[in-house]
This record gives sequence, C-alpha cells and structure tokens, in this order.
Amino acid sequence: MRLWASLFLMGFLVVLGVCLVHDVFAVTYQDAAGQVVDADQALRNAFNTVVVAEQQGANVSLLLSRLDGAGSDLTLAEVALAAGDYSEAISFAGACRSEALSVDADAVALGNDAAIVAGDWWMMVVFSVASSLIFVVVLFFVWHEFRRGYLKKVMASRPEVTA
Amino acid sequence: MWSLNDWKVVFVAVGLIGVLSFSSFSVVLFARAPAGEVFSELYVLGPGNIAEDYPFNVSMGGVYTVHLGVGNHIGSSAYYEVDVKFRNSTDRLPNATSGEASPLPVVYRYRVFLGDGNVWEAPLSFSLLDVGFDRNVSSVGRLDINGVVVDVEKVSSWDNETQGYYYQIFVELWRYNMTSSSLRFDSRFIGLWLNVTQSF
Repeated sequence: MRLWASLFLMGFLVVLGVCLVHDVFAVTYQDAAGQVVDADQALRNAFNTVVVAEQQGANVSLLLSRLDGAGSDLTLAEVALAAGDYSEAISFAGACRSEALSVDADAVALGNDAAIVAGDWWMMVVFSVASSLIFVVVLFFVWHEFRRGYLKKVMASRPEVTA
Repeated sequence: MWSLNDWKVVFVAVGLIGVLSFSSFSVVLFARAPAGEVFSELYVLGPGNIAEDYPFNVSMGGVYTVHLGVGNHIGSSAYYEVDVKFRNSTDRLPNATSGEASPLPVVYRYRVFLGDGNVWEAPLSFSLLDVGFDRNVSSVGRLDINGVVVDVEKVSSWDNETQGYYYQIFVELWRYNMTSSSLRFDSRFIGLWLNVTQSF
C-alpha cells in the first residue's frame, strides 16, 4: 500500500513539475513582440552603418543583400507573431537581429578600409597639385636661364660698328 | 633661327602640357557626372513579367500572380518597405499629393535594401478565401498572400454601373529616413482592381 502511495506521489510530482516547467518557459506575446521590435531596431541601425560605409566609399552591395535576408526574417517573425506562434516569432527575430548585428560590424570594418583608401586618394591629390607647382617653378627658372643665355648669344653675335 | 617669342610659345606649351598631365589625377578624382533626377519607382507587372494579363476577374481559391518592382534612383542606398493592402471600393486610398498613407492594415510586407541604380523584383501571389455572396453583396473573409493567410473581412456591394463586385489589392512604397530613423510613405502606390466572381 505504501509502495502504491509512493508511486502515486512520484507521478503526481512529475506531472506537476512538467506543468510548472511549461508555465515558467512559456513564451508570451510580450516576449515575442519585444524581440521583434529589437530585431527591427537592429536592422535600422545596421542600415545606418551601411550608408555611412557607402559614404566613405565602400562597395556595400553584398551587405545590402545580407540585409535583404535579415529583412525577410523580420517579415516572417511578424507573420508568426500575428499568427500567435510566438516561439517561431522569437526564432526569426533572433535570426534577423543576429544577421543585422553581423552586417553592422562588417560595415564598420568596410567603412574603415574605405576611409584609408580615401586617405590615399587625398595623398594623390596633394602629390598631383604639388608636382604641378614644382614643375611650373622649375620651368620658369629654366625659361629665365634660357632667355638670359639666348640674349647673351644674340648680343655676342651682333656685328660691331667700327668707325 | 627662332626668335625669343617663338621660344616663349614653346615654353608656355610645355608648361601647359606638364600642368595638365600632373593635375589629371586630381581631375579624375573630382570629376563627377551631373546628377540626374532623384526618385524611387514602384511598378507592377503581370504574370509573364510584362505589363499585360493582369488578373481582374478572380474567384475563390484561384491563385493569381503579379510581379512587384522597386527602382532606386535617389543617389545612395535605400531601405524600402513595400506594404500590400486590401480594400473595397469605399475604403480610403492613400493620398499621393499630401503624402498620406492608407490607414488600412498591412496584409503583407516586403523589406527591400537597394543600392543606387538597382531594381528589385519579387512575385506577389494571392488567393481569395472565404468568399461569399448574398443578394447584392459579396464578402471576402481571408486572403492568402505568398502562402501567408490573413483575415481581411471585406464586403462589397454590386456595382450596377460596371457590373461587378469590386475590391482592390494595392501596394504602398515606404522609404526609411535616416534623420528621423523612421519609415515614411514615399507618396507612391499602385493598385489592381479585382472583380470577384462566383466560381462554378
């Protein structure tokens, strides 16, 4: 009798435990909606960073196609949220957020590389302008010397008038 | 023998050629093509990816496909949302002049990240579900868009003039504004009229 009572008690505790665990880990609408909002914000931040990288001269076409994928995940998360499938919504929102953060980091690196290249371009501009100026100055001196030599030669070859 | 003036012309020519050669690097870096008109485009093509054979007479359960397209000509990358909405003939349309979007709920959304000068295209497949007819009124309960089923609950009365029950599936173009960190209606929308018929 005591054995049956023990078994019954154990079974009851197991069932109770399963119910409690379900309650503790159950995903609510608020959880899922919060994740979707976070993913949306991460996507916007990533796009902002991509545009900055583009302005620095980076080629961002690959990053844009990755954002497209993240955007599709966000749409699927919203669809799942509207359908009441909160676990699915969290899963897609997580995928979107993760990809958006990765794109954000890559855009920063790409932008920095582009800024270095842009710096090289400025060096080239400075070199180009400076070399033009030096060329003009040197040419001016060459002209000055040539003119002096030319006049000297002309004066020397001028026939002298004798009385 | 050349005169001093002849030599002067030679030096000036050499000087100009030299300056142009050295500064050509800078000219290439700073030369930009004149900017064209800045705009975004939104279009819908028929099932064959050309501007014909748009679905018009539709019935419950039939699957209809059109192709949506967005073009970016704003001079930099852009983040667009293409919102699909569904209305009957009395629901309000967006106002392109005042830049006011339709207040109707979005039934499907595409998110598009597009580089300058690029075009995006995607299919939009839809199917009307729970369609009913009662005297001079028809109703559409749900809409299946790209495999996603959404409640719409729309009713349309018989139109004596054009002889049909009319609904419209339309898309609005929204563009992300970096300054306000929000998406704004880009004053562009396009719609397809649908005449719902009874299937036999």
